[in-house]
Amino acid sequence: MGLLKETLALMRKDLLLEWRGRYALSGILLYVFSTVFIVYTSFEELGPQAWNTLFWIVLLFAAINAIVKSFIQENSSRQLYYYSLANPMAIIFSKILYNIGLLFLVSLLTWACFSLMAGNAVKDLNRFILVLFLGSVGLSITFTFVAAIAGKADQSATLMAVLSFPLVLPILLTLTHLSATALRLEQTTSLDKDIAILVAIDLISMGMALLLYPFLWRE
Amino acid sequence: MKKDWWKALGVLILLYTFTAGLLLPLKPGIVGVNPSTARTGDTIIIKARGYNSSFAKAKTPIRAWLKLDKDRALAAREVKIKSDTELELAFDIPPFLPVDQRAQDFTLIIDNDADGHSVLPSAVIITQDSIQPERGAQVWNNSQVLNLHSNPKGITFPFRNILAETIRNTYFHVALWFAMVFLFMAAVFHSIRYLLYGNLLSDNKAASYTSVGIIFGLLGLITGIIWARNTWGADYKFWNLREVDVKQAMTMVALTVYLAYFVLRLAFEDPERKGRLSAVYNIFAFSALIPLIYVVPRLTDSLHPGSGGNPALGGEDLDNTMRLIFYPAIIGWTIVGFWMGQLLWRLNNVQNQWLDKTEE
Repeated sequence: MGLLKETLALMRKDLLLEWRGRYALSGILLYVFSTVFIVYTSFEELGPQAWNTLFWIVLLFAAINAIVKSFIQENSSRQLYYYSLANPMAIIFSKILYNIGLLFLVSLLTWACFSLMAGNAVKDLNRFILVLFLGSVGLSITFTFVAAIAGKADQSATLMAVLSFPLVLPILLTLTHLSATALRLEQTTSLDKDIAILVAIDLISMGMALLLYPFLWRE
Repeated sequence: MKKDWWKALGVLILLYTFTAGLLLPLKPGIVGVNPSTARTGDTIIIKARGYNSSFAKAKTPIRAWLKLDKDRALAAREVKIKSDTELELAFDIPPFLPVDQRAQDFTLIIDNDADGHSVLPSAVIITQDSIQPERGAQVWNNSQVLNLHSNPKGITFPFRNILAETIRNTYFHVALWFAMVFLFMAAVFHSIRYLLYGNLLSDNKAASYTSVGIIFGLLGLITGIIWARNTWGADYKFWNLREVDVKQAMTMVALTVYLAYFVLRLAFEDPERKGRLSAVYNIFAFSALIPLIYVVPRLTDSLHPGSGGNPALGGEDLDNTMRLIFYPAIIGWTIVGFWMGQLLWRLNNVQNQWLDKTEE
């Protein structure tokens, strides 16, 4: 019970920090907007295949930018203060949950941005939203955990990309495949299987993140 | 010296693997037939080419069948021996086939006492103009495939079409992969020990076993590429992810994950911090690697066995002779891998101690 309470309190703190600063979300939005604008101006006609590819690339980098500062936005003495107050599991859990929400919001906004400028290629809305949600969960678990590791180094942004890209590749392959079916680019024969893979990967990485984080924060 | 017996054992097993794996001959087989298509009502003469076969040395007449299914087969009217590796088989194809499709593939079986029996699946495709299974059943001149000779040539590896001699790569490509997984497991074990007890030697061991695992992974990848070029086609490009086999793509990703592990180690100076962070990443990466290598390829189409509905290793892929070399090969590669890892961590350990001493 205490864990849940701590998690909620920490999430509320993250939300408040974001609301007062409005730094992360506005930065990401600007990034998404300018990338999509470049995409829009360089492609005259964006076919669904290119739409799918570019959407996930833009989202991947937006996600990395959004999550990399999870553990470095607050200075180390303040982090020490949190650790003395809360269970480390609650800390990582709250960060992951917060990032899932943030990433889901960012992916919806990216989609909106794409629809505004490059047109909406999505044919199956429900499925695409499901894919976006599953994607946000998968990407934010791995990225949050890697951000916790990379946050300890000086060159954290570079290290973050190097460490996390290979790790999220299977997630990303499954996601692009799933979203291609939502765009009616491919016929689905293995929808359940793909979703099962994603959920399995998410569960494994979530379990490992919760298990390993207590070893990580001790500095 | 007494406690080092396992190193000698590893070398001996590998020597055995190399000698037996490369020198034992393949069982005789059929490489190809010409022509491989026929029409109903024809009398065709099929030239069959054998591999490692000795048709001319057969003492009893050579028999040949075109097999339709378990019970039905068509015997050759005449078998002419051209040479040890060449046969001319004459078949009378009936005017109608007892099947309800236009084209039907037949398996060619050749049997003699010098080679035993050899099989070429889907060797000949026979097309018929009109589909009349009832009349086909009437005119079908069935001849049971009976009294096949077993292989008289002693210990051999099975002959498989497409694979042919490359079947020996099983003892290298597959066995190296098994050894790699064991090395990564050992690295994870030492990473866990480091997190629990904080002994820097454990971190050193984890990093050493991981580097040897990467070397084995690269060797497995290279042997796999050579194998793919011989079986999936010479223009098979392993760097082209679009046409690449899913298992091979995942291997590259897995190796990238482990290379990132070393980048992470380079980013930290302080050995304790480096040890803890890289141990955490190693465990996380290993748990992400399992679905990568074992789950994803099994669910999508792949050219490898064990995926896309193909049976995994075991079952039909290995016969008893191959098992006698394949299982020792895994053990041999694993032992040599651990030996290499041990040398590496001992070297690093000595280096660290020496550095500590010179600092004092």
